[in-house]
Amino acid sequence: MLELVQLSRRFGDKLAVAGASLTIERGEMVGIIGRSGAGKSTLLRLINRLIEPSEGRILADGTDVTALRGKDLRAWRARSAMIFQQFNLVNRLDVLTNVLCGRLNRMSTARVLFKMFTPAERVLAIRALDRLGLADVAMNRADALSGGQQQRVAIARALMQEPAILLADEPIASLDPMNAKVVMDALLDINQRDGITVLTNLHTLDTARSYCRRIIGMSAGRIVFDGKPAELTDPVLRTIYGDAGVFDERLTSTSLSVAAMPAMAR
Amino acid sequence: MTAHMASLTAEDIAEQRLRTPWAFGASGRTRALRWAVGLLAVFYLLYLQWLFDFDKLFTGLSRLFVIVRLMVDWSGFADWDHPALLRAMLETVAMAYIGTMLALVVSVPLGFMGARNIIPARIFRFFARRLFDGMRGLDQLIWALVFVRAVGLGPIAGILAICVADTGVLSKLFAEAIENTDRKQIEGVTSTGGSFLGALRFAVLPQVLPVMIGQTLYQIESNSREATILGLVGAGGIGLRLSERIQINAWDQVAYVIVLVLIAVALIDNLSRMLRLRLIGTPARAA
Repeated sequence: MLELVQLSRRFGDKLAVAGASLTIERGEMVGIIGRSGAGKSTLLRLINRLIEPSEGRILADGTDVTALRGKDLRAWRARSAMIFQQFNLVNRLDVLTNVLCGRLNRMSTARVLFKMFTPAERVLAIRALDRLGLADVAMNRADALSGGQQQRVAIARALMQEPAILLADEPIASLDPMNAKVVMDALLDINQRDGITVLTNLHTLDTARSYCRRIIGMSAGRIVFDGKPAELTDPVLRTIYGDAGVFDERLTSTSLSVAAMPAMAR
Repeated sequence: MTAHMASLTAEDIAEQRLRTPWAFGASGRTRALRWAVGLLAVFYLLYLQWLFDFDKLFTGLSRLFVIVRLMVDWSGFADWDHPALLRAMLETVAMAYIGTMLALVVSVPLGFMGARNIIPARIFRFFARRLFDGMRGLDQLIWALVFVRAVGLGPIAGILAICVADTGVLSKLFAEAIENTDRKQIEGVTSTGGSFLGALRFAVLPQVLPVMIGQTLYQIESNSREATILGLVGAGGIGLRLSERIQINAWDQVAYVIVLVLIAVALIDNLSRMLRLRLIGTPARAA
């Protein structure tokens, strides 16, 4: 169980995240929606502790994550795997090594320094890649892959961490609709088969509706909605996305629904 | 609609010239004037450099011809001290190689220390950077003169000169390469729970390694050329042999030494190109 208690982060005089409180149960798949700049990315980075909170606490199964330092902090990062909009792979390393990076936390300094992975780690990495349909490009350089493939490599790296929770920061914002579906399906599969909690930022409302049973809406750093997709009525959406005249859901969409994509219906 | 070239009349052109004069470039007169001024400036500068002292130019040239004639006459080839010359040539290459390698060993940690994203403390970085500037600011030749005084004639002085000057160059280049690394890749490794060292090893190093390898190979190349000059001031190697032979007007052997240097440099160039391809590889192609 992950609990955020009055979590805030200030950049200069701007509150990127303002007093966010949340409870997420193990195994949930939660989508976070909101306009760009609403604080979604900052919230996920706060949870992984890539960004330090200004105020508030994060509790994971009762442990205060915000108080962790050094080794314990890095162990928490390994438990809360993260994937990014821009994939954040190491371009010049091959795919397999990128995936193996997911084990860095459990490796001794000497093994890190000399890049020594055990056969067992390699097997796990190949299996993770295989699960995402990428075993045959394992020896390619990461930057030789398409965006969709790179994001799947990033997911494989996250799987290598054997995390309790997967934080996905706009995982499909840099992808075309076809690849976006592949990546979202992979996240859903990980959530349902492995029981890993998935917390994902999404800028397309329809994706959030079709993949997440719980949706959190953010606006100006605050959590303004927390509920089921069905509860996302027009007035609610107006508080999340602002009052841009008549609200049209299609404005936030790079639709993934079958009806809107004749190519996939076939 | 665009008119056809054939249907353009002189009036069309005149009218267009009036409306958009800037589309027709400078007039003939302006251009001639510009050329004249430019040429005048060039000739005046040459005149200032007494290059137009034709007498000197021609007497100099005739002496040069004599030297060239002496240079191409290699009839005494069999009597030259080949072992000493080859040895000196190898010594020069070894000086360049050892000097650069020592510089590399020192520059990698210094480069990391001089990079903003590794050591955020400004004061520390300031001193690291000034140290690089100091080592780089003096030419290798000056360092060679200093070290010849300090450790005596011979290759050790050359190695030290190359090492110090190159440490300045390489450290600065490494520090800049490290500062230019992509933050996202570092964030990716950090997010997995990797330590600072892990991020350096798996996210920073892969990004800067090509720069490090490329620059080091280039320095070895360029140092084997420049080490010849270091020899001229007594820092060992082929340069010393070269200056001896110039002093006694042994122009045939001077030419031979120059050929030796050219061959050595060409070999090293090729070798380093091969190594570069092998170690860095070609840029990734889309799969």
